[in-house]
Amino acid sequence: MTDDREHYEAVVVGCGPGGAAAAAVLADNGVETLVLERGTEAGSKNVSGGLIYAEESAPYTIDDLYPGFREQASERPITEYHIHNVAGNKVKSYDITDLHDHDTEWSDAVLRRKMDSWLERRVHERTRETGGGVVTGVHVDGLIQEDGEVKGVTCEELDPIEADLVVAADGVNSELAREANLMDWEEPEEWFQGVKAVVDLPEGAVEDRFGIGADEGAAHLFSGDLFEGVRGGGFVYTNEDTLSVGTVFHLDSLVAEEAEPHELLDALLTHPMLAEYFDGEYDELEYSAKLVPDSKKVAHTSPHRGRLVLVGDAAGQMQAQGPIIKGMNHAVTAGALAAEAFVESRARKSRKAEPTAGELYERKLHEEGVMGKLRPKRYEVAAALGERDAVTNLTDRVLESPVGRFGIKAADSLGIIESAYSSPFMSMLMPDTKTPYVTLPTVIGEALGDRVTGENTIEPPALDDRIGDLTYDVGDPHIELLDESYAASGAAVSACPVSAQDFGGGCYRSETVKTNGHEERVVSLDTQPCVECGTCAVVADTDWNHPAGNKGVEYKQG
Amino acid sequence: MAVFDPNDFEISELGPKVKDVEDAGDLEEVLEREKEGKNRDAVKTLVQSRIDKLHDEDEDAIDYTELDPSEHTVAEMANLVRDVDDADALRGMLEREEAGEDRSTAKDRIQSRLDQLESSDDDGEEEEYVPPEEKYPDLDHPTADKQYVHGVDDGEYRDMWVYCETQQGELVDVSLEMLGKARQLMDDYNDQYDEEELVVAVLMGDDVEGHAEDCIAYGADLVVVHEDERMARFQHKAYSEVFCDVARGDGHPYGREDRSERDWHEYEEPRYVLFPATNNGRDLSAQVQAELDSGLASDCSGLYIEDTVISNPAKTGGEGKRQFERVLHMKRPDFSGFEYSTILCLDKPHRDFHPQGGSVIPGSFEIPEADAEREGEVVHSDLDAPDEWFRVDVQDYDTLEEGIDLTGYEVVIALGRGIGDDPTKGIELGLELRDAFEDAELGLSRGVITSSYSFDGHVEQYIGEDRQIGESGQVVEPDVYIAAGISGAIQHKVGMDESDVIIAINTEPDADIRDFSDYYVQGDLFEVLPRLTEAVESGELRLEEIAAGDD
Ligand SMILES: Cc1cc2nc3c(=O)[nH]c(=O)nc-3n(C[C@H](O)[C@H](O)[C@H](O)COP(=O)(O)OP(=O)(O)OC[C@H]3O[C@@H](n4cnc5c(N)ncnc54)[C@H](O)[C@@H]3O)c2cc1C
Ligand SMILES: Cc1cc2nc3c(=O)[nH]c(=O)nc-3n(C[C@H](O)[C@H](O)[C@H](O)COP(=O)(O)OP(=O)(O)OC[C@H]3O[C@@H](n4cnc5c(N)ncnc54)[C@H](O)[C@@H]3O)c2cc1C
Ligand code: SF4
Repeated sequence: MTDDREHYEAVVVGCGPGGAAAAAVLADNGVETLVLERGTEAGSKNVSGGLIYAEESAPYTIDDLYPGFREQASERPITEYHIHNVAGNKVKSYDITDLHDHDTEWSDAVLRRKMDSWLERRVHERTRETGGGVVTGVHVDGLIQEDGEVKGVTCEELDPIEADLVVAADGVNSELAREANLMDWEEPEEWFQGVKAVVDLPEGAVEDRFGIGADEGAAHLFSGDLFEGVRGGGFVYTNEDTLSVGTVFHLDSLVAEEAEPHELLDALLTHPMLAEYFDGEYDELEYSAKLVPDSKKVAHTSPHRGRLVLVGDAAGQMQAQGPIIKGMNHAVTAGALAAEAFVESRARKSRKAEPTAGELYERKLHEEGVMGKLRPKRYEVAAALGERDAVTNLTDRVLESPVGRFGIKAADSLGIIESAYSSPFMSMLMPDTKTPYVTLPTVIGEALGDRVTGENTIEPPALDDRIGDLTYDVGDPHIELLDESYAASGAAVSACPVSAQDFGGGCYRSETVKTNGHEERVVSLDTQPCVECGTCAVVADTDWNHPAGNKGVEYKQG
Repeated sequence: MAVFDPNDFEISELGPKVKDVEDAGDLEEVLEREKEGKNRDAVKTLVQSRIDKLHDEDEDAIDYTELDPSEHTVAEMANLVRDVDDADALRGMLEREEAGEDRSTAKDRIQSRLDQLESSDDDGEEEEYVPPEEKYPDLDHPTADKQYVHGVDDGEYRDMWVYCETQQGELVDVSLEMLGKARQLMDDYNDQYDEEELVVAVLMGDDVEGHAEDCIAYGADLVVVHEDERMARFQHKAYSEVFCDVARGDGHPYGREDRSERDWHEYEEPRYVLFPATNNGRDLSAQVQAELDSGLASDCSGLYIEDTVISNPAKTGGEGKRQFERVLHMKRPDFSGFEYSTILCLDKPHRDFHPQGGSVIPGSFEIPEADAEREGEVVHSDLDAPDEWFRVDVQDYDTLEEGIDLTGYEVVIALGRGIGDDPTKGIELGLELRDAFEDAELGLSRGVITSSYSFDGHVEQYIGEDRQIGESGQVVEPDVYIAAGISGAIQHKVGMDESDVIIAINTEPDADIRDFSDYYVQGDLFEVLPRLTEAVESGELRLEEIAAGDD
């Protein structure tokens, strides 16, 4: 015992799905568990698309751990899934409900404020029984490390807290994972950026416009030429009375194309295909964004150090299974497995040679097949072949050639394309090149698509209005720009979802400074409009931290 | 009859039947039959809850000397040990825990129960009371003995005292909040116990008497004032000595002998005291309560007065349970903020814990409505504080820069990122226009303050957050607001759109600010500002006219 520090058996940092799952299993095993969450309420900081999956093959699902989840915390079950290949006004659509259903017990659309705050209340009830609880408004800003060993956590708002187990369920841009040297935020190739708008619809419109019943939901994906060649795609998911419309792009591609994320989102929103969803009325409730790890590249194969375990996005456990995004479900499984590992290792602690909780957790991730999904072996092989530019260019050229188009037509008539899209095997080995995201869908759209006739007249709000509609509790600046030169940090001006070239109201602004007669292009940073997405942690030279507890942006939808 | 088949009965009949069964094993059997049979949820719950109850009863008869801690979670252990009165059993448990899972929290819980038992043993009635002066004749200060410190024993206590802190000549809000709460507590107290005890406000410092009236208006019956120009600033020694001096009644064993009689203080010490949990209030409260030999509940956010029954032998002197009357219950948040502890300051045999006192977190209570009609008395302390109490001498001090207050000017000239082409020049032009008016100041949009513009030294002093206008800056409503190179973001707008006349200068034909401007000059601010300055200086453009033009 050092000093008089507060001590808990387990401290869980973050009350998203990963943290909630860990807390449930810890509390049910009588482990005294304290959960620290930086938002005013869990969910106030979180964004997902979001469809949460309960996989048949997974050892834990959210409704196992939290009965009543589907009735009380989610929006609609997703009962049909379509992918649309867009080339200009031509669109070719496929039904990929089979892929969606593969290994799926159920899948619901969720809004994170509602979902996470519901979970938070349950987590509090359960952890309280053990002498712990959830404390919100606390930003954990570091680890207590003594002699190189993790002993607990430090917080901006509370005195340091020791724990026998520290669960970093603090999401993407985990400050704890970074401090433990388990993750870094250097390479744009390793991340996606997700941007989303939640759009209000009149009562009953979801059913009417999507042709679904009260207990049904639809998911639509869009890829092709509507995103200025940036690799990625768009989605529309149905909530109870709202839509989640968003885009997910490879961050390196976004940077390379100097694309403006809000404009890409607008390109989707204003595409004629979406006209029927809005019926000329557009009421945006919230604009939001967050980085998304690409598990194929960053899922840590040994996500622990001493008493610290990483779960969920903090450990990079976000699987892009082709067009289907699975992060929340893996966060749940990992959180529960880490907790299980701690309980087991504690029970047999007396024997020295036993594995630590972290080691057991790592073993479980493999044995339960989680690691296999996150880092599929097949991908590593495919990537070695497919991602080489030469190969890409070649396939692209073939696809775009008349011969290629003929092939596409033939393939379609044989049903090959639809079944390829619907194959979980295929979707796991999609290389991260333009081919599957842009070229192939465009060619399919062009060759096979039908012209969309609807006219989409809506006008999404401008960026300053989107910022103006968000709720902020402004605190001290939480990001420090270390190098203001355009070369080092200029990429953030476009890539930051609340900044843009020629826009003075964003976080990052391009400026020309004249000193002693010579001009220099620099960027300046104001963190007030920041939505804490994490993008500039990767693409600019910054010292990047989350704001203090309760400070910064507060999402109402999420 | 023990095991019956539940499927033969209606749910309503089963209630009494199940209750008669005393054997959990029989009930398990019943439950099984139900599951195989009708499998009714309500029946299963009924049977299960009876089973649980029987198990609980079994647990009551736990043999603690044999208990295996590893079979219990830490939370269970925490509840369990509370019932154990046998120290040996606890030591055994501790050993088994160490040999087994060795959970530090579990050990803490067992150990703290042990400590509790042992300390109450020490205080048990067997030990004979010897006054500290007799026990330690060589010690000069009787509080040296932790166990029997000498304070007042069986004294007389009255009234609720509130230390009303002032800062730079003003009463701080928490002083008023405490007076309001004290008033409410003592009104209820006087009703309940049929007493006429007072709320006493204490003012100390230089030129503080002027606040006495306010103290009364906010709830005090009596204000004790101690004026001393050396106390213009808070000083630990002087403030705590003076407070203790006024708090001790005439004839107090540690009181001053040369004091003049005070008809308002015919008791030994206050019954209750409240301090603000501010930097100074915390400092003062700790010393005063130690000096008066009582306890302190620091950082409280809830207060009420109630009788309470206590069985802690340290407090009851081993007589089992005892009722304590008129106890101030002081609630304080624990470190996490989701649990509260209620702190009580209770007398012990041979040692009183009065005043019962705490410090109050600012903002915990409402500031009451002032009642200028309220009547009260103001009295003065007659203490002449010796010089040695003023060991600290403030030689120099600095007030933190608060920055400029932009409210109250007739004209505000605000500059935005439109100055970007030549930021220094832009500020200069803004300052020139400011100087052309009689009563004007310069403000900025946030966009300028957070830019990377490099300003020359002579204008740099004007670039700071203190000049920011808007949501996260200042809100101004001058007669005339001139916005040059500002786009009119909503966060800027909320800081200025109540201005009488808004004039915007912008190169764009329809920047957002146009929507809420009275005059919109489309043009380059580097050209427009100098012309405006000239017009104002020459008298060509007059403020009154601009303002009149708004009608
Ligand atoms: C646009 C978009 C679409 C997506 N779509 C889907 C989808 O359809 N399906 C899907 O399964 N996944 C989707 N995801 C991914 C999914 O949102 C994440 O994988 C998932 O939320 C990860 O859960 P987590 O518990 O690890 O972290 P999070 O949900 O991010 O939770 C982390 C928690 O920790 C808190 N926190 C962070 N740092 C600290 C700190 N220092 N101190 C205290 N608290 C802290 C945060 O406030 C937060 O509550 C999407 C993501 C985005 C951005
Ligand atoms: C939570 C939050 C709080 C905020 N709080 C505040 C606040 O309190 N106060 C505040 O001001 N902002 C605040 N902001 C920032 C606000 O959103 C805007 O970013 C900011 O006000 C923009 O400043 P600007 O108008 O100077 O710059 P810009 O928006 O870049 O506008 C510059 C304008 O100057 C014009 N211009 C360019 N050159 C010239 C020229 N030569 N002559 C004339 N016109 C020219 C352009 O046409 C443009 O309209 C806040 C933002 C957030 C998210
Ligand atoms: S400043 Fe950085 S973290 Fe904040 S919204 Fe922009 S890119 Fe995201």
